[in-house]
Amino acid sequence: MKNKRSIIKSTFPAEQRIVLKRAGIIDPDSIEEYIVHDGYFALGKVLTEMKPDKVIFILKESNLRGRGGAGFPTGTKWGFVAGTKADKKYVICNADESEPGTYKDRLILEGDPHSIIEAMVIAGYAVGADEGYIYVRGEYKLVQTRLLNAIKQAKEMGFLGENIFNSGYKFDLHIHAGAGAYICGEETALIESIEGKRGEPRPRPPYPTTNGLWDKPTLVNNVETLANVAPIIRNGAEWFKSFGTPSSAGTKVFNIMGNVNSTGSIEVPMGITLRDVISIYAKGLKDGAVLKLAQTGGSSGSIIPADLQDVPMDYNSFANAGVSMGSGALLICSEKTCVVDLAKVLLNFFRFESCGKCNPCRIGNQRAYQILLRISEGLGSMKDLDDLQDISKWLYEMSNCGLGQTAGSPLKDILNHFRAEVEAHIVKKECSAGVCSMSGISPTSN
Amino acid sequence: MAKPTVASNWLAGCAGCHMSLLDIDERIVKLVELVDLRATPITDFKVPDEKGVTVGILEGGINNSHNEHVAKQMRARSKILVALGDCAVFGGIPAMRNFFTLEESLKRAYVDTPSTDESGKIPSSPELAKPTLVRAVHEVVKVDVFVPGCPPDADIIFYVLAELAQGRMPKLENNNLMWN
Amino acid sequence: MVKITINGKTTEVERGTTILNAARDLGIEIPTLCDHPELTPYGGCRMCLVEVEGIKTLQPSCTLPAGNDMVIHTDTQKVHDARKFILSMIFSERNHFCPSCQVSGGDCELQNSAYDEGMTHWPIMPNWQPYPVDASHPFIILEHNRCILCRQCVRACGELVGNFTLAFEERGADSNLIADLGLPLGESSCISCGTCVQVCPTGSLIDRWSAFQGKETELDKTKTICLGCSIGCGIDILTRDNRLVRIEGDWDAEINGGVICEVGRFHPMIEERERLLTPMVSVNGKLKAATWDDAISAAAQKITNSKGKLSGVASTRLSMEALNKFKEVCDAFDAESISTTEDHSAISAVFDLAQSSGTAFESKIDEIKNADCYLMIGEDTTKDHQVLSFFAKRQIPVGAKLIQISDNSTGFDHFANESLTIDKNSQSKFIEAIENLVAEKSSDIDKIAKSFKLDLSSLENVVEMMSSAKKVAIIFGSRTNYDNAAAVLDSIISLKNQLNGKLVTTKGNINSLGASTIGINYTENVVGSELTIVALGDEKLSQNFSKKFDKTPFSIIFSSYISPLTADADIVFPVQNWLEQGGHFINADGHIFEAKAALEAPEAVFSSEESLSKLADALEVKKQKSWRELVKETPAPVTIS
Repeated sequence: MKNKRSIIKSTFPAEQRIVLKRAGIIDPDSIEEYIVHDGYFALGKVLTEMKPDKVIFILKESNLRGRGGAGFPTGTKWGFVAGTKADKKYVICNADESEPGTYKDRLILEGDPHSIIEAMVIAGYAVGADEGYIYVRGEYKLVQTRLLNAIKQAKEMGFLGENIFNSGYKFDLHIHAGAGAYICGEETALIESIEGKRGEPRPRPPYPTTNGLWDKPTLVNNVETLANVAPIIRNGAEWFKSFGTPSSAGTKVFNIMGNVNSTGSIEVPMGITLRDVISIYAKGLKDGAVLKLAQTGGSSGSIIPADLQDVPMDYNSFANAGVSMGSGALLICSEKTCVVDLAKVLLNFFRFESCGKCNPCRIGNQRAYQILLRISEGLGSMKDLDDLQDISKWLYEMSNCGLGQTAGSPLKDILNHFRAEVEAHIVKKECSAGVCSMSGISPTSN
Repeated sequence: MAKPTVASNWLAGCAGCHMSLLDIDERIVKLVELVDLRATPITDFKVPDEKGVTVGILEGGINNSHNEHVAKQMRARSKILVALGDCAVFGGIPAMRNFFTLEESLKRAYVDTPSTDESGKIPSSPELAKPTLVRAVHEVVKVDVFVPGCPPDADIIFYVLAELAQGRMPKLENNNLMWN
Repeated sequence: MVKITINGKTTEVERGTTILNAARDLGIEIPTLCDHPELTPYGGCRMCLVEVEGIKTLQPSCTLPAGNDMVIHTDTQKVHDARKFILSMIFSERNHFCPSCQVSGGDCELQNSAYDEGMTHWPIMPNWQPYPVDASHPFIILEHNRCILCRQCVRACGELVGNFTLAFEERGADSNLIADLGLPLGESSCISCGTCVQVCPTGSLIDRWSAFQGKETELDKTKTICLGCSIGCGIDILTRDNRLVRIEGDWDAEINGGVICEVGRFHPMIEERERLLTPMVSVNGKLKAATWDDAISAAAQKITNSKGKLSGVASTRLSMEALNKFKEVCDAFDAESISTTEDHSAISAVFDLAQSSGTAFESKIDEIKNADCYLMIGEDTTKDHQVLSFFAKRQIPVGAKLIQISDNSTGFDHFANESLTIDKNSQSKFIEAIENLVAEKSSDIDKIAKSFKLDLSSLENVVEMMSSAKKVAIIFGSRTNYDNAAAVLDSIISLKNQLNGKLVTTKGNINSLGASTIGINYTENVVGSELTIVALGDEKLSQNFSKKFDKTPFSIIFSSYISPLTADADIVFPVQNWLEQGGHFINADGHIFEAKAALEAPEAVFSSEESLSKLADALEVKKQKSWRELVKETPAPVTIS
């Protein structure tokens, strides 16, 4: 690797780097540089000055919410695990980042691996676990290398293993590599994968907080969530709340992509609007085009029509507007994007990644994809719209896990906001964006 | 009030459903008291009235362009369209051809048959209907009543027609639906 | 306890009960496709989804535990629409052609579910993509076109049988049932137990022999026990027009809980031996058909003349009634010996020890079902008494350890944590050595490992596993023909006591223990000086054992089937086979069962008991003690109830 420090070259105006503070600045392979930049200071403070429930109290006060997409209050989740009596508990870091367009966790893990190690030891202490796993997606080879190296260094320096900081507390950390399954980002499927089984989500309840890895209470947190832990401990809950909005404290890393002039990542306080992201950071749509729609949160995220671009991007404001913020991926589309094509590409992703356990998702995604494929070839019928509506409705009602439940969302949103464009494909065999092939030939793919 | 009118036709089927219809035996006398049988493949008139009929019945699935035409015509000329028998309902036995390419099927039918010598040739006259994927009737036109079975029981067919004749939609459920 | 209301009816159930089971308690049936009472709930098919007041989306009743004050609706329009959607999805996925399927018309859970929802057609048409048919297996056909991917077969193969042959490959719409890593079923590690066929809700997994022979409603069902080995699994025999159609495991049977093995399920279907249908008497060296009266008088005459110079051999597949009658006849004529057909040294050793010690030393089979350490000695329960191997193998995923001590390779080689090959004549010494190591009376583990040619680490592992186990189960059997079986048995019992474990010996055929408790054991001398009477029943004698009868000057044989033995006999009587007669049997762990007949025998073919009674009556043999009285008097290795 030529220049480890050049992952993130510069900060944009109004960016606020908390989780990406060190990424691109320090050498990720040097624990010394990490320590010089406030590394392991929070862990020392926790183990020498605080009881576990004090740590949880601070997390709760900070209003930190899960950054994996669900937005669940982190302190509350830690409280559930801490409150379950058991002879053994686990902490898991979900680094299976597979949402298309999302690479924020990769930036943190490649640029600042020790920040996650430190956070996991703190989390383990707070909930009563002495062992942890970082589940890294199989394709992130560099992340795996850097993490293994960082763990080795941490062990040598005594930040992992027995009697950390002479406190009597011990914590062991393992890396478990995934093997190309998006579904293993779902926490119970991830746990099944670590146990050596097919990555299929479990029925919930019971939840991992009471019955997780090897049926023991398990805390599962996203990388970005954990990267906020040490800064909160060091600087306090009030400091964290000074960023963002009342419902969503702190910052968020957004990955910008689409028909824009400037793609890339930013870390900004919660509450920024889509309009500001596009104008300030994405530097507007390409060729002066107009915003048609945006998709937040990855493939299963909400499709935001242009008239919602002034809603602040925080969990509650989005929820009130009936859309979800998700993991932080932002797909910005102009008139060049065809909604049928977009839906088709998204459904292709879901049918490919469906684990296959439950009927609505395994078959529904397949059928929806094939219908959209036919529509894009000009072979659609009006019955297809009814079928698509049904499939997306039942996907939400009946699926076993979040993948199926949200797979129908973009479809539902498109049929809601852009129905005319879809109907034109069927009735007039027209694709206004000029993307669909409309060949009239029946697709033979399955 | 005029009696409801009924017309039927058959597509890619074996005619067994019409034979099952005839198995209503003497009840056909009762039936023609209730309805006016206009056109069927087994009576004199073959083509449904241009002015339309109350109930149209289609046996057999859609196998070629001619079947499509007949189905569309029956749909256009019927208030209520009945898909009679498994072939009409889902494609039936002829639909097994869908597992092979059209070329394979035609070759097997016209060239590779045991009783054909080397001069076997796939017919290609422009007068012949174009073969298509075998489809259920409702994949081409809207169907109002589905009567599955291979063939459906004569009692079921009588029930369906009697209900339609008296202005009610037949409800196929429980013993009326289970085919065994 | 939690209070739950379903469709307006309220009940209280134990905490942890699923909504599905709570509904069943209330007599409300919620349709399922992937659920089975004997398997852990899967939650995959989504047919069981119901409305729960207060929860936004529909909830799976098979996995959701009833919560206090939950109010549930299973019969609303939304629930019915949801079920129709699932069914329409399933019908569009693969090729569900009812017209040509043998479970169509009542035996298909998919079809029945569709009929219950009033579906007259497929709302969404399938792709017309063909799926393969795997017909490589001798008993089972796997029709992928009909599979609904419910995984009941996978779960049964793992949770009930412990064989883990069936699994799923790929994911999403490419998910597919496979055997091992993608082998044809007939070439895989499948042990042909057929449990997958019994649980499959559609016509996807079917057995060749019973296909198209009748729907369940057209078959007669007889609940009885399998006589294939000494375990006595509960089975249902399905027949039609006096023809055997299918054998299934009885889910309600205590011993096996529904699983049976290939010997019980499929071997009776491939019975190829020819039946004996009439008595025969040898005239001038050739067997000729005779009437019952003539044959019985000829036999009675010969027996009377050979008093004191005859011996009897009885199959341990005969019922208690038949065995007792046989013994009465032999005793009345001072038989030189009465023997069973089981010449395995281990079986003899077990019964000898029972007699000499007078106390029971074995446990009931139920007591070894949940052990955390299984020790298999001298037996291969993957070949005989297979259901015992299921109980052990299915405990492996929950942490049970398996140790085998054998003089050669067995079917457990791939499952055992440690497989120790010890020569059969050294096994008793070895078991003593292990006992000493466990009791920490010996620390020469190096020396012991060397003397028995074992890896030190293996031996250490074995001792560790045995010492740390909470429930040890030892299974000892007759696959090995020991020279010193008594010594081996002694050392095993000593080890069992040291470990506070449970011992089950497999013995032989179904009535092995039964025969012993009325005084019939194996004796070396099976042949009488002048006459040998063999009550063979429907047993298939090994060639080796049959050879023992070459020397007999005269033989009278009661048998169901023609064999070289009957071909050489002087008087032959046809008897009913196990399907045609009832009777009592005592299985390996001391349960007294009554078997029921499922078929009517051919005309003038009687049960072994009746045929022997005819002989006894002709000989005016007086009735002695009933078999029940004899059982009460005789010591047995396990308590008999």
